Amino acid sequence: MTALQFLQWLEASALGQATRALGVWSYGIINLAHILGIAMLFGSILLLDLRLLGAWRQIPLAIWSGPTTFMARVGFLLAVCTGIPMLSVNATEYAGNPFLLVKFPAIALALLNVWLVHRSEAWRAHRLRELMPRERRRLAVGAILSLVFWLTAITGGRMLGYW
Amino acid sequence: MVVKIVATFAAAALLAASPAFAHHGWSGQEGKLVDMTGTVVQGVSLAGPHGTMKIKVKDEVWDITLAPPARTSRAGLTEGIIPVGATVTVRGNRSTEAGRHEMKTVLVKHGAKEYHVYPDRE
Repeated sequence: MTALQFLQWLEASALGQATRALGVWSYGIINLAHILGIAMLFGSILLLDLRLLGAWRQIPLAIWSGPTTFMARVGFLLAVCTGIPMLSVNATEYAGNPFLLVKFPAIALALLNVWLVHRSEAWRAHRLRELMPRERRRLAVGAILSLVFWLTAITGGRMLGYW
Repeated sequence: MVVKIVATFAAAALLAASPAFAHHGWSGQEGKLVDMTGTVVQGVSLAGPHGTMKIKVKDEVWDITLAPPARTSRAGLTEGIIPVGATVTVRGNRSTEAGRHEMKTVLVKHGAKEYHVYPDRE
């Protein structure tokens, strides 16, 4: 299945038909929820990543990491659940849009980075004890990659509409 | 370190807010308004960020980009109101991109009816 065939399938799907039939305000409202999801996702990630890079050291990382990763998950879920119907409304219009190839690979890399950080020794240890300098550096690298990948994904997504 | 990061974000935010990035702008369009008459091949759709329709002018199919759905609807231009096959005249600014048949449309005329979706741009 090529990208174009996938976009055609998505546009013709029951989801696409249902979303198009929801009325003149529907796209705006779904778009609003998508932006709120991204705000929750990136806002939480920014707080966590800056902490991993050395900001607010007086607050223990073990306390910081719980709410930020939770809110990031909720935001990501909201963004996915609104993003798919938004794309399905007129998916084929995005065929050949180069920013698709910026946004989705960046999201994939960002998620890969999340997975690698969460399975790292440093991340597992941070709830139990003080981290060693080597472990702090590992998490700082993860934080920089996280900021680069998520900002790239958000930029690609925003620029989709300008192509 | 943190100050530098915050400064970078602030700079990025300022850049994104500058007029060159104005959302769904007319910047990719010709400055002059043009009238085109053609046959509707796909009626008005009010799904998505903008209302759309397709018309055939001579042998070319043009994408007619209207206002956001709610605004297009307030102008009286609703889905199904112009049947496929009807002759319409549209006024708007065509894309400057070579080979791209797209017009950001301010006015649609169908018989005696006129739909002023962007009256301030006419």
